[in-house]
Amino acid sequence: MLASLKWLKEYVEIRISPAELVDKLTMVGLEVESMRERSPSFRNIVVAKILSVKHHPQADKCFLCEVTTGDTTYPVVCGAGNIRSGNVVPFAKVGAVIPGGYTIRSSKIRGEISEGMLCSEEELGIGDDSTGIMILPGNLPIGKDLSEALDLTDVVLDIAITPNRSDCLSIIGIAREIAAITGSNFRYPDINVTENDEDIKKITSVHILDPDLCPRYSARIIKNVAIGPSPLWMRQRLEAVGLRAINNIVDVTNYVMMELGQPLHAFDFRFLEEGRIVVRRPLSGETFVSLDEKERILETDTLMICDGVKPVAIAGIMGGLNSEVKEDTETILLESAYFDPISTRKSSKWLGMNTDAAFRFGRGVDPEGVVNASARAAQLMAEISGGTVCKGCIDEYPQKVKKAKDIPLRVKRVNDILGTDIKDAEIVKILKSLNMKICEDTNGHYRATPPTYRVDIEREIDLIEEVARFHGYDRIPVTLPPGSSVTVTKDHKEIVRKRLREILQGSGYSEIITFSFISPGSLDMLGLPAGDDRRKIVKIRNPLTEDQSVMRTTLVSNLLETMKKNANAGCFDLKVFEIGRVFFHQREGELPKDKNMFGCLISGMLDNNIWLSKTSTDFYDLKGCVENIFDGLKILNGEFRSDYRETFLHPGKSCGIYVDKRCIGFLGEVHPDVLLKMDLKNKVYVSEIDMELLADCFTGDVCYKELPRFPSVVRDVAFVVGEDLEADKMLNIARDMGKELLEKVSVFDVYSGKSITQGNKSVGLRFIYRAPERTLTDDEVSQVHSGIVKHIVDLTGAKIRGEGN
Amino acid sequence: MLKELEELQKQADAELLVSKTEEEFLALRTKYLGRKGLLTGFLRNLGNIEPEKRPLVGNHCNEIKNAITEKLDDALKAIAGLKQDDELLRDRIDVTLPGRKIRVGKLHPIIQVSRDICEIFEALGFSIVEGPEIELDYYNFEALNIPKNHPARDMQDTFYIEDNIVLRTHTSPVQIRVMEKQRPPVRILSPGRVYRPDSDISHTPMFHQIEGLLVDKSITFGDLKGVLTSFLKQLFGEGTALRFRPSFFPFTEPSAEVDIRCVMCSGAGCRVCSQTGWLEILGSGMVDPEVFKNVDYDPEDVSGFAFGLGLERIAMLKFGISDIRLFFENDQRFLEQF
Ligand SMILES: [Zn+2]
Repeated sequence: MLASLKWLKEYVEIRISPAELVDKLTMVGLEVESMRERSPSFRNIVVAKILSVKHHPQADKCFLCEVTTGDTTYPVVCGAGNIRSGNVVPFAKVGAVIPGGYTIRSSKIRGEISEGMLCSEEELGIGDDSTGIMILPGNLPIGKDLSEALDLTDVVLDIAITPNRSDCLSIIGIAREIAAITGSNFRYPDINVTENDEDIKKITSVHILDPDLCPRYSARIIKNVAIGPSPLWMRQRLEAVGLRAINNIVDVTNYVMMELGQPLHAFDFRFLEEGRIVVRRPLSGETFVSLDEKERILETDTLMICDGVKPVAIAGIMGGLNSEVKEDTETILLESAYFDPISTRKSSKWLGMNTDAAFRFGRGVDPEGVVNASARAAQLMAEISGGTVCKGCIDEYPQKVKKAKDIPLRVKRVNDILGTDIKDAEIVKILKSLNMKICEDTNGHYRATPPTYRVDIEREIDLIEEVARFHGYDRIPVTLPPGSSVTVTKDHKEIVRKRLREILQGSGYSEIITFSFISPGSLDMLGLPAGDDRRKIVKIRNPLTEDQSVMRTTLVSNLLETMKKNANAGCFDLKVFEIGRVFFHQREGELPKDKNMFGCLISGMLDNNIWLSKTSTDFYDLKGCVENIFDGLKILNGEFRSDYRETFLHPGKSCGIYVDKRCIGFLGEVHPDVLLKMDLKNKVYVSEIDMELLADCFTGDVCYKELPRFPSVVRDVAFVVGEDLEADKMLNIARDMGKELLEKVSVFDVYSGKSITQGNKSVGLRFIYRAPERTLTDDEVSQVHSGIVKHIVDLTGAKIRGEGN
Repeated sequence: MLKELEELQKQADAELLVSKTEEEFLALRTKYLGRKGLLTGFLRNLGNIEPEKRPLVGNHCNEIKNAITEKLDDALKAIAGLKQDDELLRDRIDVTLPGRKIRVGKLHPIIQVSRDICEIFEALGFSIVEGPEIELDYYNFEALNIPKNHPARDMQDTFYIEDNIVLRTHTSPVQIRVMEKQRPPVRILSPGRVYRPDSDISHTPMFHQIEGLLVDKSITFGDLKGVLTSFLKQLFGEGTALRFRPSFFPFTEPSAEVDIRCVMCSGAGCRVCSQTGWLEILGSGMVDPEVFKNVDYDPEDVSGFAFGLGLERIAMLKFGISDIRLFFENDQRFLEQF
């Protein structure tokens, strides 16, 4: 809401500086978002008097004038014919700047010297009149700066009005708040209609057929208006608050709306068939052309203002083309009404028409301000358009609008909520300053009746808020709540997330955050089969773009997208992870299922330290990361199985991740087809793990094992096996067999190439033997060890390398 | 005798002072302490003194011997040290070459800010909870005192899944879900993703909020001010000036917007604070009695306050980021900086 300081001063005295006012308004909840000075864009233009006017000897259409600024007289050549000797006019002296940046110079026009220029309204940018020189009131001081003389500078505040404060969507609304803040008197505008003898009831009538949507409708008739531009003062005010001047009738409706907050509409009476107003819901299929020249089919609950035959306006939203005020309009029917806020909002939304009127009706106007506003507008129309106001005002008010009355207020409650010690007297004073009626029941118990324009005040808490606003939030003491008996709980999942982040950060992965929505096409890109759970997508009805139109069911597409973006920016080495939710459609009307997932991606070179050696990342780097997670979360029975398949992973370089035989995710190299489709050159490795399942596996328990007191015996063996044999198979055989003395068995080397027959590989295993309570003898170890090795050989067909293979 | 001894000491000290090389010090050692050294000779001649003076002179003699020995040893040690350094320096490396770093990953700036904020509130006894990101209209709006067609719905454009299912527009529905399950007292904090259909330099369709709620017997607006003041001073520094000003949220009353002094211009007015000298940081207020009724709490029995803040805004202010979209592009060069 834009508010002109000059306009505000009509109703309330403002003695503080604009900056102070901005601060005070903001601190009572009328947040001033900006303040700007409005001044004309001319300089050095003064009030001057024309001493004489005569025809230019060489030019028919020009005049030679002598003008005075009091101390000096200047010769001026002027082309406008409306000037007379004795006129007071705006005079641009040599050196003056008029709007557009044009500087006035001394010149010779057809042989006659001209020391300046007389200006029209339009040339000064303070009006639309370009037909002649602007004639100023004769009482202006000659020689004075025009901007000062006409009081053309103003300060305009842009105030953010919260949705509850519809009463502040007007100049008087803001003036009332200023009066309450500063204690100055508030002056309601003088409303004083001069009526003629013609009774309005004989001219027109109003029938409200749907009082639920239109509880109140008033009409006035103004006759013999002459349509034309409004006076300068009105145009300036409208422009200051961001409205365009149109004509003296429409301008008055806008002016009064801005002044009092009541939207009005002026109909050209001659276009109202049967000369009457009917307020009703539309007939089925009824169409209507509004002022914006668009034809609309009306919805059942869109309230219409009609004449005896057809709709002429959408109630509270916009007038119709068929009844608009035209240049030759003579008789006006002026509407001032109260429309149901909810219905106005619905219609305005449905029609996509958010007009100033709809905005105000939608938030609730003062139901008791309807008739006053009508009178105010009638008065102004008569004043500036020369019309006469017919006697009386039709005021149909079939349904009283609910108004809050006698709201109980307990002083103790005020202080209990605010943590203050505000006394009765201050509370009463504050509420009275806001025009509430207060009566005291018993000690500390009051009843307050808010003014009708405060539609937001209905409950005790609303009154408490008013007390808080005007007592001052800054005066409320700062305290801390008493110690609470509630125990702080740490969500198990949150703990896992935190651990996970630590582990990944330590492993060199950076966290990313991507949008939870994806393009539906990205699931095709991954080649997910039709029956896949991840095809149960949740669609957004009103997405911003197709690319963001469904909720993701996997983090993989976003991880790849991130890879792609970075590659495009020239960064091919990436180690990133994301923790976020995925969503699965369930049934219509049911909330989708969501779960937290962890995803990570690695690609490019392991180290970007240029002078050290570089290696390309591969499957095992990513697997190591997942193993780190297992270590960090103390998950002992993690397993990686090659029989797991994902359409978007390389079938020979991917695996399922299992804990206790339950699949919790996957990892692997991205399928070359997917990389090709995404135009990614380097190999990319991704993993995705279900966070909830991972959290289930995490207990947080650490069980310390006594450090060994006796030495271990280490034996290394290289087995030559078929290249398809998985190392896990050999390790499991060893573990199954050597339960007692075998402390650990692990792969220490994998080799294929020279000296290994084709189709085979050599896998070196390291066996560590130890007994907890004694030193093992060589014989003892050899016995167990050879048993294990033999078993591996027997079960896998392996050969021992170096044993005559 | 004693006089001679003192002379000897002075002479030795003087010679120690002017000596520099290893050879010189070794020569001094021989001269004074050697088998035929001056001091040794002195000691040998002790027998010639009167017996009663013997202990005194003997002691003195030994003291001088020890002093000279110590000084000689120190000097020789220093020389040896220098010699070793010379040898080690031949093995010098270029210490300016980059170290072999184990690269540590970075946490996303939003996560960092979220973590900082959560830690502050955890110390104040708040528990971290989560809520669904796809919400029923009831939790996102109705239960928060925002009925259909209420003007307050204009404040938040909404992504719809179905008529009654939305992408949550704020983290406030978590308040309702928690209060439905738990009787007072309640102290919770809920960070998470929220969604609104908006996209430009200062809006992304997804962003992050943190919601806080404290409900107990006799909680006041003063407590709201206390907790949030303590929080903001921890987050932005002890000297941070702040102000609470009236505002409107459908689910709190009285409501307050909390501003901090502009961190860019310290209040003088700049582009970041649109010349006001203040930055809006969070919305807060006393829980509206209607909300309590919706979760079957008695507003006469308990009171409380709620607050919410946008993490991107905090991160932008803390790190001086001007385009919110950067948070979600995940450009390595951006992430590396945090
Ligand atoms: Zn600033």
